[in-house]
Amino acid sequence: MTSTGMQFGIFTVGDVTADPTTGRTPTEGERIRATVTIAKKAEEVGLDVFATGEHHNPPFVPSSPTTLLGYIAAQTERIVLTTSTTLITTNDPVKIAEDYSVLQHLAGGRVDLMLGRGNTGPVYPWFGKDIRAALPLTVENYQLLRRLWREDVVDWSGEYRTPLRGFTLAPRPLDGVPPFVWHGSIRSPEIAELAAHYGDGFFANHIFWPASHTKAMVQLYRQRFEHYGHGGADQAIVGLGGQVFLRPNSQDAVNEFRPYFDNAPVYGHGPSLEEFSAQTPLTVGSPQQVIDKTLSFREYVGDYQRQLFLIDHAGLPLKTVLEQLDLLGEHVIPVLRKEFAIGRPAHVPDAPTHQSLIDAARRPEIQEAS
Amino acid sequence: MRVAVISGGLREPSSTRLLADRLAAAVRAELGQVEVEVIELRRLARAIADAMVTGFASPELEEAFGAVAGSDGVIAVTPTFNATFSGLFKSFFDVLPEQTVEGVPVLIAATGGTERHSLVLDHALRPMFSYLHAVVSPTGVYAATADFGAQGLSERITKAASNFARLLKLCGPRRGDTVNAELDEMQRLLAGA
Repeated sequence: MTSTGMQFGIFTVGDVTADPTTGRTPTEGERIRATVTIAKKAEEVGLDVFATGEHHNPPFVPSSPTTLLGYIAAQTERIVLTTSTTLITTNDPVKIAEDYSVLQHLAGGRVDLMLGRGNTGPVYPWFGKDIRAALPLTVENYQLLRRLWREDVVDWSGEYRTPLRGFTLAPRPLDGVPPFVWHGSIRSPEIAELAAHYGDGFFANHIFWPASHTKAMVQLYRQRFEHYGHGGADQAIVGLGGQVFLRPNSQDAVNEFRPYFDNAPVYGHGPSLEEFSAQTPLTVGSPQQVIDKTLSFREYVGDYQRQLFLIDHAGLPLKTVLEQLDLLGEHVIPVLRKEFAIGRPAHVPDAPTHQSLIDAARRPEIQEAS
Repeated sequence: MRVAVISGGLREPSSTRLLADRLAAAVRAELGQVEVEVIELRRLARAIADAMVTGFASPELEEAFGAVAGSDGVIAVTPTFNATFSGLFKSFFDVLPEQTVEGVPVLIAATGGTERHSLVLDHALRPMFSYLHAVVSPTGVYAATADFGAQGLSERITKAASNFARLLKLCGPRRGDTVNAELDEMQRLLAGA
């Protein structure tokens, strides 16, 4: 894998939702297989990244992300596989370290992950945790995860997990390089602080909140990244969500997407499609409109590294999602690659990859922050 | 001093708004220099419902939140519906970002069709604002329809405004920054490793 400036990809929530235009709900099996088809198609049309969410309650199917990603890894060659997000609170950090080490080996390094807290209260007690401790749990688990990936023998004790004595992670990370870690956030400044502290990537969900909010969060992360000595503010590693629905004709896109928007689980039955499009990054229209809106993100977050789009939710049928990927791959992403490269300063890092992390580890002047 | 007036009245003209205006005028008479911003919830009704669904505020609602967050005191007036504050009034505080009124003096007031609802102040508004960690002024004003033409309401308004003005002076201008407080906690957690 060589780094290529910005990465473009898709992220899926993995919801099983009835198609509001037909009333038909796919089975869980259909949804899982559709997700695999979508991931393979994403690679085929030239996208760089596929990300899956992690959920432990209906109507969602991705409760076991590395099983899904491992299966996709076996059927793809180039695309980077990642998560959106991996629950750092309710998963045992030892199991995360093991699962992603194995996945790294199987996928030949085409793996990173995005950590998140999870916001579904009832899920926490199912895994023996308490949502009220989500923040200290996040910090403790993440600090342990970092050590498991970096130290040969770990002696550890903490508040929320059985102590470890003489524990060695097996298998060790591929090439001795842990997967790159992003921290995903919808609204918490604490997560920007966490990402900045470790010099990790910060992914702003972006799609559920107004741009002003994302701007403030990314600005905070960049300032703190510099404060912690990982480089200049404009060298911090930023990812953004986006949400698009496209057709060659703008009005066709609006007409076709409206019933899905109006009934969407997250924001349906609230603001109109037009209001939501004005207030958030949602773009429903022609490829050119998607290009223009996406390019505008740079105006308020600066040059960034990763752009993921949500395209397969709210009951959209597989056929439609695959058409979205065709349109993205043919008409949108090539233009975005070209346009985003214009004026991008040389000192702004490319999106991190396994290879870039290996290269960085070989350069002695790069100090690992702990 | 800046005072945000939140009026939950639904009609125009509205007796709730009328009471809110009289309270604001009485507070101004007590304090002299005071900047008053009135937030009419009726105009924000759809935005409030949307915020419940989406989790974020539209620009107009954001502006109202900003007015409350930038105020040193709040006058909150609601009509009484089914023995409590109106659903819209409660909904505004349900979507208002947490801690917006923490430590902020609040003058509570309500209108209603009959005097028999007067405990709405102490049984509904006061507990909610206590929960929100506001500093609720001891004297509220309840005005039944009949009170508007009767003796006594003006005196009650003056007394409530006077108590609220004293509280405002005692509490002084608002300070504190919740984002920084959240970050402080995170920095402490990260450093404590």
